[in-house]
Formats: sequence, structure tokens, C-alpha cells
Amino acid sequence: MSLIEKIFGKKKGSAAVAKDRLTIMLAHERVDCKLPYLDALRNDLIEVIKKYTHVDDVKITSHNNQSIDMLEVEITLGKK
Amino acid sequence: MGTIITVTSGKGGVGKSTTTANLAVGLANLGKRVVAIDFDIGLRNLDMILGLENRIVYDVVDVMEGRCNLPQALINDKKAKSLYFLPASQTKDKDVLQKEKVKKLLETLKADFDIVLIDSPAGIESGFEHSIFLADRALIVSTPDVSSVRDADRVIGIIDAKSEKAKNGEEVEKHVIINRLKPQMVESGNMLSTEDVLGILALPLIGVVPDDEDIISSTNMGEPIIYKEKSLAAESYRRIARRILGEEVAFLDLKAKKGLFSSLKGIFK
Repeated sequence: MSLIEKIFGKKKGSAAVAKDRLTIMLAHERVDCKLPYLDALRNDLIEVIKKYTHVDDVKITSHNNQSIDMLEVEITLGKK
Repeated sequence: MGTIITVTSGKGGVGKSTTTANLAVGLANLGKRVVAIDFDIGLRNLDMILGLENRIVYDVVDVMEGRCNLPQALINDKKAKSLYFLPASQTKDKDVLQKEKVKKLLETLKADFDIVLIDSPAGIESGFEHSIFLADRALIVSTPDVSSVRDADRVIGIIDAKSEKAKNGEEVEKHVIINRLKPQMVESGNMLSTEDVLGILALPLIGVVPDDEDIISSTNMGEPIIYKEKSLAAESYRRIARRILGEEVAFLDLKAKKGLFSSLKGIFK
């Protein structure tokens, strides 16, 4: 970065944009290939929940960034 | 017992074959018995980069189908005497390889050589699967651009799923080679840096090869650039070869060299 750019500030270089785009894209793509057990897990969860209450749907979404992988489980019970 | 190392990338055209050729020579020059195999069936290329295209009689498919025996097909390199090369077949049927036969061949070579270096085809189809399934180690080549990094990430994600080693509970040792880095562009913020790429791929680095026009002339001549004493790219390859053998070698300083003039110019840019 040149001196003038340092003083007056400058819009992000294209590399920073590339990095952001890649990070977001890969966070989505990695889910499908790294969690082959997702469907089985979902079915098991439904079985377990059924023991205690009625259940409409179980939605599992995976989030990850560089430091942490996370599964978010959303259980819809529905109306009785 | 030797080590099987697969050079792969996902995306085509990022320099897999060039990397394979140079590392094969580099490892041989370090005293290892090396065999480089081109697994890009139908699109043979490693032969020309090594400058051995005129010496091919038999290829990898001939060996597997029993049309010749292994020593007949192995080509000894012109300069590096402990380097042998097994060319890909130019058949149009790229799915000609069979898992059992690949396994038998690789196990034979593994018993004979210190290092079996496989040049994997681009893509994630059967050719890629055959080149990875017996690998002990994988070198993932990526250039610092979005398509290459994205494809590399995908390949990294499936290596273990396709590997026999992983089936037995072990892990394929994976390293990243960043190829064709342009330090000046990184400095001006217009190319992903080594740190950026590593942050995304989350794997250890084994080398960065700067973009170098001399690689084109080396390929033209059929003589891998690693033979050039003074080339920065050659030095990178030599260091990668040593790191593969477990030596700790400092990384090259690839900061863009700045003369007084360009520093002055930089202020007003």
C-alpha cells in the first residue's frame, strides 16, 4: 500500500473481497461433504423425541467458521 | 517400504504435473529412489515436462494389463539416475484403470522405491480416486485464486473418504503447495496471500512457489526448472523436496524486491 493510500485510506483490495467470498462459499459447501451422517442423526433424533412428546419436524443446520463447527437443531413440535 | 505421495489439486492447470516433475527430480537428487507415475489417463503430460516423451514404449495400462512387465515400462531419467518414470496411457477410455490392478502395481512399486510420486488427474472422478486411494500422503497444489482454492478445499474434503488408509483409522498426511504466487500482487492487496489461502484450507504449508516465466521455457525444453541454480522457483522446489523428507527448512522470503525507483513510484501510485 502506498503512503498516500495509507494516509487517505483506500477501498479494499480485490484479495480481501476474494477471501470473504471464499470463506462464505466454503462454509456452505463444506456442510454437504463433511456430514454424511446428517440424515441418520435426524431420524434418530425424531425417534428419541417421540418418546417424550409429539414431533413435526427436525431441522439440522450446520455452521462453521475457522475456529468452531456447530450444529443447530430446530425441533418443530406442532400443535396437538 | 516406500511412501506413496499423491500430487493433486481438484482444478486443472494449477501446475500439478510441473510440481510432480520438479519434486521427483528434487527427491532423486537428494538420494532417494523415486518413481513418478502419470495417472492422467488419456491426457499424458508428465512425459514432456520431464523430457522423456521419446523414450516411451509401454505405459501404465500396459503394465496393469500384463502386456509387458514393470521394468520394461519404467523409464530411467536422463540426468537423475535414481528417478524412474511410468507414463500414462493415451487411450481414449479414461476409466480403464481397475482398483485391484492399481493396488497391485502400487504395492510392487512401493516395495521397490523409496518414494512413489503420483501425478493425479484434475477433477474428482475415478482417475483421481485411483491416484488417492493408496496414498500415504497428499500434496494439494493450489494457486492463489478463488476457483483453485475452492476446488482444493473440495478435494481435501474427499481425500479421506476415498483413501484406504483412512478406512483403517489412519489419516492421509496432507500438505498445501501454493503455486504461482505473485508477491507484488499480494503486497498491493490484489492476490490472496499465503496466509489467506492457509487460513481457508486449514492445512499445513509445505511450500510456496513464486510465479516464474522460466518455468514455461523449462517445459519447452523438457528440463524441469529445479536444475536451474539461481531460479527462485527452483529453490522453492528444492526446499519442498527436503521438507518432504522431514527436514526443517526455512521458507523463502518472497517479498517483492523494491528498488528506490519503485519505492518512489509506490508513494504516488
